[in-house]
Amino acid sequence: MMRRSVLAAIAWAALAPAQVSYEQIRKADPRNWLTYLGPYHGQRHSLLTQIDRSNVHRLTPQWIYPIKDANRLESVPIVVDGVMYVSQPNEVYALDARTGRLIWEYQRTPALRRGPNRGVAVYGHKVYMGTPDAQLIALDARTGSLIWEAKLAEASEGYWSPAAPLAINGKIIAGIAPGDHGLNGFLDAYDAETGKRLWRWNAIPGPGEPGHETWAGDSWKTGGGDTWLTGTYDPELNTLYWGIGNPAPDFDGDVRKGDNLYTECMVALDADTGKMKWFFQFTPHDVHDWDAVEIPVLVDLPYQGKMRKLLLHADRNGFYYVLDRVTGEFLKGVPFVKLLNWASGLTEKGRPIRVPGVEPTLRGNKVCPATAGATNWMSPAYNPDTNLFYVVAQEGCGISFKGRDTFRPGGFPFMATGYIEDPEEPWQMHVRALDPLTGELKWNYLQKGSKRYGAGLLSTAGGLLFAGDDQGFLTALDAATGRPLWHFNLGMRISASPMSYSFQGRQYIAITAGSNVVAFALFEDKK
Amino acid sequence: MRTGFPLLIVLLLPLLSPAQPGGARRAGKTNPLGLTEAVIAEGRQLYNRSCTMCHGLDGELGDRAPALKGTRRFRRSSDEDLFDAVKHGIQGTLMPASPLPENDVWKIVAYIRSMRASAFDAPLEGDPEKGRAVFWETAGCGGCHMIQGRGGLLGPDLSNAGGERTTLSLREALTKPRPHIPPGYRPANVVTSAGETVEGMIKNEHNFSLQMLSRDGRLRLFTAEEIRRIDYGERSLMPTDWEQRLTPEQFRNLLAFLSRQAAARIREQGMAEEDLGR
Repeated sequence: MMRRSVLAAIAWAALAPAQVSYEQIRKADPRNWLTYLGPYHGQRHSLLTQIDRSNVHRLTPQWIYPIKDANRLESVPIVVDGVMYVSQPNEVYALDARTGRLIWEYQRTPALRRGPNRGVAVYGHKVYMGTPDAQLIALDARTGSLIWEAKLAEASEGYWSPAAPLAINGKIIAGIAPGDHGLNGFLDAYDAETGKRLWRWNAIPGPGEPGHETWAGDSWKTGGGDTWLTGTYDPELNTLYWGIGNPAPDFDGDVRKGDNLYTECMVALDADTGKMKWFFQFTPHDVHDWDAVEIPVLVDLPYQGKMRKLLLHADRNGFYYVLDRVTGEFLKGVPFVKLLNWASGLTEKGRPIRVPGVEPTLRGNKVCPATAGATNWMSPAYNPDTNLFYVVAQEGCGISFKGRDTFRPGGFPFMATGYIEDPEEPWQMHVRALDPLTGELKWNYLQKGSKRYGAGLLSTAGGLLFAGDDQGFLTALDAATGRPLWHFNLGMRISASPMSYSFQGRQYIAITAGSNVVAFALFEDKK
Repeated sequence: MRTGFPLLIVLLLPLLSPAQPGGARRAGKTNPLGLTEAVIAEGRQLYNRSCTMCHGLDGELGDRAPALKGTRRFRRSSDEDLFDAVKHGIQGTLMPASPLPENDVWKIVAYIRSMRASAFDAPLEGDPEKGRAVFWETAGCGGCHMIQGRGGLLGPDLSNAGGERTTLSLREALTKPRPHIPPGYRPANVVTSAGETVEGMIKNEHNFSLQMLSRDGRLRLFTAEEIRRIDYGERSLMPTDWEQRLTPEQFRNLLAFLSRQAAARIREQGMAEEDLGR
C-alpha cells in the first residue's frame, strides 16, 4: 500500500532532465530514432546489427497498433528510450515501442484532414508536429498536453503543414504546403521552448530580392515553391539543406516565364539566420510538377582524390545529382531511370538540356518520367559499408496537359490541369542501388506488380536494405546484391519509410502501413 | 431565490468568453433568460414539479418518457426545439403542450440544456479571474494539472475542462471521492525484478506490460517479467475536500475559472474541410 500526500505529489516530475538534447540528436545513438530521417545526415542507415543477413528470416511481427480512422499513414515513427511517437493529421500517439501499448494520445480539434502527416520532431520534453490548419504545435512528450501553438500560415488561405518538423539546436524547423495552390512557400525556424518565430526564408523572392527577375510580371505572387518534406542538417557547417517544390500554375509555364527561383531547387540555409548560402536548381522553369523536395542525403566521400562534403539527391525529374554541399557546386548528374525524354542530358553546370516540345499541351503530350516522378517522398538511403546510394524509382511516362488557370485565394488548386499515366508506358516500381559518385546502377530490384509509390528505404549495418511496396509487402533485401531475404505482407498499402530502434537489447524494425503501426523483431524461442 | 442580476451576466458573458466550444450552432431562437445558475435552479424546480410524471426526476428515465440528460445525441437540442416541444407538445406522442407561462418554459429549457451542456455553455456565477489565482496560488492545482501549457503532469490537463465537462462533474471532482481512479491516473510503486522501486502514475497496464510516468517525470516501460511487485495506491491523488479547504467564495471562483477553460480555440471559426472547397 502506498500513501502519499498531495504536497509531495506536487513536487513530482519537476526533476526530469531534458529528454532529448541537441547533442543526443547529433550523436545519434542508434537505439533511438530521433528525427524523421534518423541521424541529421539523412542517410537512413541504422548502425544496429542484431538483425542481419544471416538471421533476418526470423524477423517476426511483435505488435500492431491500429490508428482509428487512418487509411494511409505516412508517418515515420520517432523513438526515444523505448517510447514511440507516431502521428497522423491532427493526432499524435505515444506508444510503448516494445509492446505497442498506448501511453497517451493527442487529438486536435477540429480535425481538419488535409494532406498526409509525415511525423513529429522531439526536443527537450516536447513533441512537435505540423497540422492541417498550418500550425506548428508543441506537446509535452510525457503527457501529450498542448504546450504552445505557432501559426505557420493562414489555414483559411489554404495552407497546411504535412512535413515532420526538424529539431536542431534549440530550434524547430518547419515547412509548409501546398505550392500547387499558388501559395508561396517558406521555411521557418521557431524557438523550441517558446514557439517564437526566429526566422523565415521565403522560397519566392519578392521585388528587389535576388532571383525575383526569374519571374515574369506578377507571376511570383502565386509562384508556389513549398517545403512539404523534411530536409537534412550538417551541424559542422550549421547548414540546413531543403528541397523546394514546384512552381505554380504547375503545367502552364507561359504565364510565369523565367527560371522561377527558388522552385525546384536545393537550398542551403544558415541555421541561425535562415540566410541562403547557395542554391542549385534541378529543373529551371518546371512545367511538370516535379517538386524537388526529395531528401538530400549528406555524405563525406573522396571525390577525384579529395575528401569532399557531398550532397546526394535523386530528383523527381529523373536525374541523380552529386553536389558539393559546402559550395553548392554541381559535380555529377546522370539519369537514374531509363524512361526520360524531356532532357538529353545536363550541361557542365548541371542545367538540363531540354528536348524541344516535351512539355504539356492542350491535347496532351508524352513526358517521361511522369509527373508522379522518377522518385518522390519515399526516403532514399546510403550505406557506408556497401558505399551504395539506394533509391525507389518509378519507370513510366505520363500524358501531360496544359490549360489556363486563374488563381483563386482560399486554397484551390492552381495547376492548369494535370496528367495521366501513359497507357503505352505503364508505371513500374523498382528499388535501385547506385554508385554514389557516378550514379552507375549497381543492382536493381523490381517490385513486381507495383505501379505506384510505396515505402521509402532503411539501410542497416546488418547488411540489409528494407523496402516496401504499395501492395503491402515489407521486404528485406541484401544491401550488397538486392536479393530479397525476407518479406512480410502487411495487408495494407505502405506509404511511409521503415525505421529501426532498440530497447533493452532488442532491435526492432517499425513501419506504418495503411492504418497500422507494426513493429518487428527477431523471433525469440522462449517458453 | 436569486433572480436579480443574472441577466446582466448573460449579456456580458459572450463578450468575455475567449472561445465558443461546440462551434456554430443551428441558427434559431435562443433562450432569452440564458443559462445562469439561478435560471437553471428555477428550471430544475419547475421541471421536477411539472415533467416527472412522465420523465424521471432530475432528467433520469421516467415511466412514460425518456431520460433527458446524458451524452447521447438528442433530436431536439437547440433552445428553440426544446421550447417548441415543451410549449406545444410533440404530435403523435404523449408529450402534451405545457400551460406554463413562456418565461417558465424557458427556465425548463435552461435546465434541460444545463443537464447536457458543458460547463462552458452553462457558466457559473463567480469571478473567473479570482478563480485563476485560487487555481495557481491558493489551492495550488497547477502543481498537478496543466492549463495551456503551464502546470504539472500528474493530473489530467484541464485546458478544455470547461469545454468537455459539465458543471456537475467539475464540482464533483473537487468534492466527491471517486469510487474508481480514472485510467491513466492510478498511483503505484513498481518494484522491478532488479530491485528498483519506481514510483509513479500508471498510464496503461495489462497482464503483459505496464507503462508509467515516474515521479521524476520519465516515461518508464516494463514487461511483466521485469516486474516483481506492484503496490497500487488505493486512492486518487486528487483531494476532494476543496469545499472545506477553500472559502465558499474561493470555491465558487475556482469553479467559475475551470468552467471558462475551453482550449479548442479554432473551433469558433467553425471551419471545416468543406468550407475550404475540398
